[in-house]
Amino acid sequence: MDQKLRLLWKKETIAFVLLFTLCLWNYKYTDALDQDPYLITDYSRLHPVKVEKVVAGKEKEQLIQLIKEAKRKHLTISIAGQRHSQGGHTYYKDGIVIDMTSYNKILAFDPAKKKITVQAGATWKEIQEKINPYHLSIKTMQSQNIFTVGGSISINAHGRDIRNGSMIKSVESFRLLTAEGKIIQVSRTENADLFPLVLGGFGLYGVILDVTLTLTDDELYRMTTGSVSVDHYTDYFLQQVKGNPKMRMHIARISIAPSNFLQDMYVLNYKQEKSVPFTKYNQLEEREKWIIPSKIGFQINRNFDWGKEVFWKLQRKFIFSQNNKLISRNNVMRSESEFMEYKGIGENDLLQEYFIPVHQFAPFVADMRKVLKGSNVNLLNITVRYVNKDQEATLSYANSDMFALVCLFHVSLDDKGQKAFRGHIQQIIDVAEKYHGTYYLPYAPYPTVKQYQRAYPNYQRFYQKKNQYDPDHLFMNYFYQQYVKESGS
Amino acid sequence: MKIKWLIRSQSIVTLASGMIYPYYLLFLKNLGNSYSKYGLAFAVFTLSSAITSQVLASRLDSRAHEILVLSSIGMMIAMVAFPWVLHFAWVIVLQLLMGICNAMQRTSERVLLADHTTKGDRGKDIGNYHFWTSIASGFAVIVGGYMIDWLTIDVLFYISAVLYGVSAWMIGRNSKTKAKSKLSIEKV
Repeated sequence: MDQKLRLLWKKETIAFVLLFTLCLWNYKYTDALDQDPYLITDYSRLHPVKVEKVVAGKEKEQLIQLIKEAKRKHLTISIAGQRHSQGGHTYYKDGIVIDMTSYNKILAFDPAKKKITVQAGATWKEIQEKINPYHLSIKTMQSQNIFTVGGSISINAHGRDIRNGSMIKSVESFRLLTAEGKIIQVSRTENADLFPLVLGGFGLYGVILDVTLTLTDDELYRMTTGSVSVDHYTDYFLQQVKGNPKMRMHIARISIAPSNFLQDMYVLNYKQEKSVPFTKYNQLEEREKWIIPSKIGFQINRNFDWGKEVFWKLQRKFIFSQNNKLISRNNVMRSESEFMEYKGIGENDLLQEYFIPVHQFAPFVADMRKVLKGSNVNLLNITVRYVNKDQEATLSYANSDMFALVCLFHVSLDDKGQKAFRGHIQQIIDVAEKYHGTYYLPYAPYPTVKQYQRAYPNYQRFYQKKNQYDPDHLFMNYFYQQYVKESGS
Repeated sequence: MKIKWLIRSQSIVTLASGMIYPYYLLFLKNLGNSYSKYGLAFAVFTLSSAITSQVLASRLDSRAHEILVLSSIGMMIAMVAFPWVLHFAWVIVLQLLMGICNAMQRTSERVLLADHTTKGDRGKDIGNYHFWTSIASGFAVIVGGYMIDWLTIDVLFYISAVLYGVSAWMIGRNSKTKAKSKLSIEKV
């Protein structure tokens, strides 16, 4: 009996010690700065800091009081939506963060005039749910619908649509809470000076309270797919896609598989289909499909070269299986995102994006290939979208008709990993510049100040106007500190 | 030890619930924008649990085994269903179901614990029971966190469902063995 007791005691001790050791190991393993729940960061998990407080935006009056409080206490204000920007645009050390996601009511909707007014924290998803029964659709937004309207117009986002122009074009007006604590109406005719500064202004000119957007008709699309090489992509796009007025949306993906690295592509087009009754297809798809297998596939893609080969083949096969499928415009604009979510400790998947003039696409990709081949950078995905020339925003990126190459990299968040990665990104931006391209500002601050100045020639005006409208720098973020201030002063 | 099978099967139940429970709370919170809505989801759970306990009370002494099996099967169904829920009303329905299962599990487990232990000689067994179910929970919750990070919370729901299924099978198998041995004793 005594022996049996001793044996049991042993088993229990072993189990306890094992669990205790596992807890210790887990503590050590997760003890990284990017995992600290008391610090604020954004989707990148780079540069976490302590802030004074995070306040959920609820009422107009509350936000005005918040501005007064910040001024009285000499605190800064940063404005956050879903915090998917990756360069510290939504927070600032020791400042107040206004979380606008709870400021999300739909204020007015006029189906006949195809207009909707929403509070800035409303997501595209919420708008889609409201307008879908009226057969209406958003003109321009990102491929995913999880983002807030305020956040999206603050970064001047773009998407798969090739006919409706930039997101700015679909914004008719908005109300802005200024640094003086006043609410003003801003449009192309009222306080017009602020319009191109706030759109694509990263929350540096005030709090966007509500936005009036123009809508378009929801349509039925037939998906068409195909393969093309990087060298022939521009011709393919101009002739088969842009040249065909029935083609409404388009996205392409470049292979990152080692055997045909940055050479092969597949394309996915959405062609207007009028011969089939629309009513059968206009229910919003609520669930993301195949998340678990996609997530496993993407993990393999992230970790192994052979995984990249397998994932590319599977992805292409899946896309080709979609050929001829009918889908509503609204359903195209609620694309999957969950399978790419990544929460690894001390590492992350970060985006960078380059805008390249349509005719410079192939030589740019060839040069980018050379930069990446000589590095150990882990590139996970490149999608290609088309953006029309649009220079309305002061910090506009589309200085001609361009392709946007959205690149997803897997990176280490430690100093050593970041330093190496920064160097490679700067090289790619040099290549983009060589081909008269630009890069996108909502991502991690790897580019140099000089690169920012060259890509955004209106940088002086942006800086001067910021100081005119907000001389005490009430609205503050790391984009201002690292680029706007550095380049302007 | 007379209750080894009970410890094992209920450790698996604790593993299944411990694996999902803390993350389930976060999952529920994300479904509602307010804490009051979140509170409601839990209040209905307690309601159905309370009513079920009263319905079960008179049957517990004779049917504890079957009730324990049913509770695991009910939880298995709830775990499989959760990833497919798209509306809050269904969350309420599943909370009701889980409240029923909770009452079934808690009450029958206690009856079986009492049945299979002797007055004056319970402390060690009950202490053991608590130890192993707690340890199982600890391992489960750590592994569960990594599973969600690596995959999705849906996977955790499915694994939890499998574990509930295994526990139902273990209890069921034991009750059959018990019935057989009881029958052979009666024949003798």
